[in-house]
Amino acid sequence: APMPFVSVWCCSDKLCPCGERLQGQLGACLKTRSNLSSRLRPCGMKLTFPDQVWHVELLPLRRQLYILCAGNGIYCVSLDQLGSQAEDACPSSVFPVDADACIVPDVTLCTFTLLNDVLVTLSQAQGQWWMKLHVLLDPDQESQPCRQISQVGFSTCDQTGDDGDALSSHFLPVLCCASAPGTAGPGEGLWCSGGFTLEEPLFSLLFGIDAAMLDSPMILCGFPDGQLCCVPLKALNSSEAVDACSEVAGQVPPVKILHHLEEPVVFIGALRTEHKAPDDPDDQQLFGDSGCDCVVVVGHYGKMVAMKAERGEEAKVPEVREYYLQGPILCAACGGGSRMYYSTHSDISAVDLDWVSNASDPESIDNTAYVLPPVLSPASLSICSVVALSLSSRASEGDSELLALSAKGRLMSCDLCSPDDAHPIRLTPEKAGQRIKELLSGIGNVSERVSFLKKAVDQKNRALTSLNQVMNVSAALLSNQDGRKPVTCTVTASWSRLLLRDTWAISCMLENSSECSLEQGWTLCVQLFTSSCAFDEDSVDSATTFTFPIDQLLPGSKREVTLPLGSAEGTKLELPLTVSCALFYSLREILDSASDSYESLDDLLPDGSPGLSPDKEGICLPLSKCTIDILQCLRLDDSTVPGAPPSIATLSDPVETFLKVSRVQSDPSSVEVSDQLLPKAPDALGDEYLPPSVASIKVSSELLKNALKSFCEATYWAKERVCVNALGPCLPLRAVRLGLGTWSVPTDPPGQGLAPPVWKPGAGIPFLLPLLEPIQACCSGVASLLGQSVGSPPLCLGKSRQPVSCWAVGNARTHPLLCISLSKWLCEVGWGGTIGVS
Amino acid sequence: MAQRLHPGGRARSGERSRPRGSKRARREAPAGAGCLRAWTEENDGLAGGWRASRSSGPGRAAQQAARRCRLAFDSLLRKIQGLPAALPSLSLELTVLYNSLLFAVSESDGLVEGEAERINHGLIRVLEACGVSGQDLSTEELWQKVLQDVTTEELCAPLHRLGALQGAVWLAANCLGSVTGLFRLLSDTKGPLPSAHGGENELLALLKAWSVPVEGDTSPLVVQSTKDLKEILWTSAAFLQGLQGLEAGNLPTALSLLQAAASGFCSKRVLAQIYTCIGCCTQQMGKPQTALQHLKRALQVDFQCLSALSQAALVYRQLGETDAELEALALLYKALETPAQEAVSIDPCFLIRTELLVHTPALASLFSRSHPSEVKYLLAQRCLQAGRVGEAVEHYLDLLALLQEGPQHQVPLHGRSALPRIPEVFLEAASALEQLGRYQDAIAVCEEIISRTDDLIPETLRIELDSGAGGEAPGRAGSPSPGIPPQQRESLRCIVWRAAAYLHQGRAWARLGESKEAITRFTRCLNVLLRVQLVSAASIQSSEEMAEALPEAKVLQKIRLLALLGRGSQFQELGRDKEALMNFQHSLQVCPGDPAATSHLLRALWKLNRRQEAAALWQKLHADAAPADGQQEAPGRCVRPYPLYLVSCLKQVNLPHDESLARSLQDYLRTSGQDP
Repeated sequence: APMPFVSVWCCSDKLCPCGERLQGQLGACLKTRSNLSSRLRPCGMKLTFPDQVWHVELLPLRRQLYILCAGNGIYCVSLDQLGSQAEDACPSSVFPVDADACIVPDVTLCTFTLLNDVLVTLSQAQGQWWMKLHVLLDPDQESQPCRQISQVGFSTCDQTGDDGDALSSHFLPVLCCASAPGTAGPGEGLWCSGGFTLEEPLFSLLFGIDAAMLDSPMILCGFPDGQLCCVPLKALNSSEAVDACSEVAGQVPPVKILHHLEEPVVFIGALRTEHKAPDDPDDQQLFGDSGCDCVVVVGHYGKMVAMKAERGEEAKVPEVREYYLQGPILCAACGGGSRMYYSTHSDISAVDLDWVSNASDPESIDNTAYVLPPVLSPASLSICSVVALSLSSRASEGDSELLALSAKGRLMSCDLCSPDDAHPIRLTPEKAGQRIKELLSGIGNVSERVSFLKKAVDQKNRALTSLNQVMNVSAALLSNQDGRKPVTCTVTASWSRLLLRDTWAISCMLENSSECSLEQGWTLCVQLFTSSCAFDEDSVDSATTFTFPIDQLLPGSKREVTLPLGSAEGTKLELPLTVSCALFYSLREILDSASDSYESLDDLLPDGSPGLSPDKEGICLPLSKCTIDILQCLRLDDSTVPGAPPSIATLSDPVETFLKVSRVQSDPSSVEVSDQLLPKAPDALGDEYLPPSVASIKVSSELLKNALKSFCEATYWAKERVCVNALGPCLPLRAVRLGLGTWSVPTDPPGQGLAPPVWKPGAGIPFLLPLLEPIQACCSGVASLLGQSVGSPPLCLGKSRQPVSCWAVGNARTHPLLCISLSKWLCEVGWGGTIGVS
Repeated sequence: MAQRLHPGGRARSGERSRPRGSKRARREAPAGAGCLRAWTEENDGLAGGWRASRSSGPGRAAQQAARRCRLAFDSLLRKIQGLPAALPSLSLELTVLYNSLLFAVSESDGLVEGEAERINHGLIRVLEACGVSGQDLSTEELWQKVLQDVTTEELCAPLHRLGALQGAVWLAANCLGSVTGLFRLLSDTKGPLPSAHGGENELLALLKAWSVPVEGDTSPLVVQSTKDLKEILWTSAAFLQGLQGLEAGNLPTALSLLQAAASGFCSKRVLAQIYTCIGCCTQQMGKPQTALQHLKRALQVDFQCLSALSQAALVYRQLGETDAELEALALLYKALETPAQEAVSIDPCFLIRTELLVHTPALASLFSRSHPSEVKYLLAQRCLQAGRVGEAVEHYLDLLALLQEGPQHQVPLHGRSALPRIPEVFLEAASALEQLGRYQDAIAVCEEIISRTDDLIPETLRIELDSGAGGEAPGRAGSPSPGIPPQQRESLRCIVWRAAAYLHQGRAWARLGESKEAITRFTRCLNVLLRVQLVSAASIQSSEEMAEALPEAKVLQKIRLLALLGRGSQFQELGRDKEALMNFQHSLQVCPGDPAATSHLLRALWKLNRRQEAAALWQKLHADAAPADGQQEAPGRCVRPYPLYLVSCLKQVNLPHDESLARSLQDYLRTSGQDP
């Protein structure tokens, strides 16, 4: 999917690079969650972050931008620095964000908020939410960018449970700051984006008298499980276990649960529902002295809660009223007025919580004054697919401007006139022109909406057709569990010659023997796992996935894909390799146009529909899985003829050939076979031409693990191993003339250490010897081994022709596996993957 | 069997008898043993390097060095464990595992699960090498099997070393049982030690009895010697058990264990903690002087041990030595103002330290750093209680300023904090100001409370008292009574605070001579109090029962009494004696038999020339006074004290004994022939 903000920034180039006007837009643009790498591009320059950007805040005081990057932490970028960088750079340049700019490296961070020089973060760790308070330090004086002051734990997130995990992972908690009036003077005011000032009775009623008397701002926190908690900023500490319900020794615990919404909280804001006297000069300022008188919290599925101070005679409690709007709500915004704007996929709606203004009877005003309306009637603005909203006030005109960012990346600005002057009295020519402009813009909006809806219908039709096909294929594949699958994928590994280089490649043959064709949208995924050695616990399996889109695969047809894995002298291969093939159908593909599909998919597949991966990516049908070992990439390479070009040795499996040769040699009667297979076999050349053959084999640890397993079952192994272990570390190679036979140790210690154990040939089990040699020694050791043994052939190889094999096991990572097979030839130890006869 | 085949003439069987010789033999081993030798050299090199570097002392460099060492040991261990376990290399492997774990434990600080897992893996490999399967066994069973089945002498030392480390891991997880079991196995004793008689602790005896394996020159180097580890284990075990005893209230045992721990091997910081714990213990045993001695020692050892200071303040308070207590608190506040010293995370000499092994909630709560605002409050409160009004005012004003500071100064509002609710702090400050004669300031402080509570109190607050609520122990101050919703309770508290604020304002105005203002405030106070309607169930009859069910009710009553008396007195000042009389009568209704109310009324009656009534009242007062004197101070009844902000009002409301009035009353009684 294209990134929503790339196009946004195309239009934002026109705006001034920094300053107040940009704030809201930056915030609006970046609060969207994109699936791709996230980019921020101020002033025509893009900043890239290592992962999704989850939250952005601007600290105008310091002219700094704080950006929360998922799984990384909070980055701090100076606007001035960005500006100077942007001047130097060409407009489309992309800068990766400096790793040093990460001031709070914490992978568990979910959200944060800023209040002047205080940074409040919320992270999730150990089944708990942790709110931490940091103080931003002056970078000129301190070595660290910030210092943690205190923290408090919320034990709320364990309530989400198993099924809640998938749910809550979609949603981030929401943090915001509420302050009491008078805590901030006009000049050095407490600055907090998304924060609000609450009118006095409400503040004390909601948060308690202690917070009010401490003049402490409150941090409000909406969790994905629906809880709305608050904690005073000045008392962000807790004794070891926060029990939000208990009240000890007359103390009210600092963390207080205000409400439980039972659905993910997407927005916390505040409204002013009561009108002030119009002649009050303070009214001009939307965030006047007394602030807002109603807190609203919006949940994703449409539940909205409004909290307001009740004017009842009985015990003073905040009035809490729940409303149900049409969900799913993506975002919301409110300014200082009584209206809240919220966006679903299809529309922006406004709800007005000022109920009194509708009442005509002055008597009833007194009685029902200051009560929340019983029902809300949302008014549509007919703007669809808006993913971020921001309300900026224009103090001079008294009304406000709604900035909306659509999923396509269009940034829209809507003028919201106040309800009083909704009917313009007279149209002057200028106003008429303005009005016509507005109408045209409105028509533009409507036509965009129409085209959007039409497209959506088309998409859904197409999607249904595709889905039908997909279901057919899936049913055919999944219902046929035991028999042959109608769609198969065969994996073979072979050496091939590509561009004058020998390369080793995996080819996958996809065969469709079903009745339905595989249409566009299907992808063949070949996943290569290099599973590391079983002995190495810390090792991490790495996987590479190759995807091949299938345009169309008609019934009965085949398609082959080849994956070159490496050349003979090229990069090392980590073996064994597990190849797993699967057919994947991306559900996003169904919806064709990817930019809109982001939301459409959400509409199509409601949350919690079963059988889909948690992120609703698509349908995955596993086809086959096989393991490719080094033995499969052995190649018999006839390099004895100098100058002869290396050929693709044999058509048959090289491993098979190799093993056959070994077998042949153990049986003198079948020399012919051996000679046939290897025309230049030493015997054919006579004794004087008996060059020691060198083979290079790498054996996968998997194989050996299996071998070990079978050995362990035999008591033979356990017993023998002890002796060999004792031999192991100091045994020179001469003693390692083992073979397919059994060892027996003389019962009487011979006195000198060099007395070899007696070996009885013919038991038929290759002997495994843990050779305690580190890797360096291995490599050099091999050389010396060769020098020693090859130079003096008369080991026990000569006439007896016993295939002597000795296996040494090593950790595939720390000591590449050592496998020596001493037959008539001495096989070298190495990693090249070829067998050469020298 | 393992020793039979040793090419190169390395007869291992002779190793123990002549360790030095064998070392030479091994060092000269042929190149064939390269791998084992190379590994040993790598281990020795790393351990030697670490040992050499630790002279540089703790710090960031040491921490980085430790991290590097851990990574190096880890990778060496991975190399070794990449191969199937083999007996000749096991000794080295276990040593490398031990070294690597030492760094890991030291770095992780909290001893995470991973360490235990790695020990398990090591043990399974030991069993594997001996041809025994160790799958599906718990760690305890693994140890048992390993120590019983593996008889190879070479492995004895590394296994014991690893055992000590396992003990450390278990201690850190507070698994004392497992540690005891392990050391029973290690010291090869089946049952409890014979020496472990009643007095001595079994684990400590086992630890003491455990003989540390001899680390010959042959063995691969270790980064922390097992002897040190044993000492640290012993200290930690004693400390941990002492703490547990302290928690369980088993004081004599705890004391002896803690004293043992103090004699052990530990850092200054831990020693100071141990002394502080001994101080707590002895204090609880009723030996405050001994406690003080220990707390002083704790501070001598480590001045950063601030909880020793706060404990000392507590002990001084118990002893009634206010000067010393205040001094201790002032020192504590001063120390808290300087930022906390970062705990040294890595001490290069001792990777495993007692700090890492002893974690209990009791320790954490005892040594949690108190907040400056808490200490400031304690200072202010104690000064006020001791009657040092001037100092108290200074402290209260400092505290109020501290509370208004930004979020960098956190205010503890949680349940364990010494700080009461914020309005009470303000009220106490007002009370102190008033006592000092700064009446205008007191009025201003009260005004703050009044304005804050303005919107929080309802017109009427109807609280139904349940008889079930009365069963509460009176000692637990402020614990919520069942049956009263918290919302109502909070409203009630707000009413109490607001009324108290008005009361203080009235008194301040009265002192300023503004009787009319004072009367207004007292009236407002009474009006606020009138909003509360306590509806008691039939079972609650007396005011005492009521007060027990709802402690605020008693305070409420007292404030009403004080306001009525105050208003009455002001009326008297203005010469409106009849209104004064009504107020006094009213106050006596609120608190029947209250001596202050009675004497006020008596005087008012006398002044109005209603001598007969006055005489009757006087007689009644005298009749009541005799038994009441004894009753009032009766220690058997634990009376919940009045809030600190009311104490001075209660003291001052009592009229000085008026000798002339008494004489004239007696004269009157004599003349009317009613002399008692």
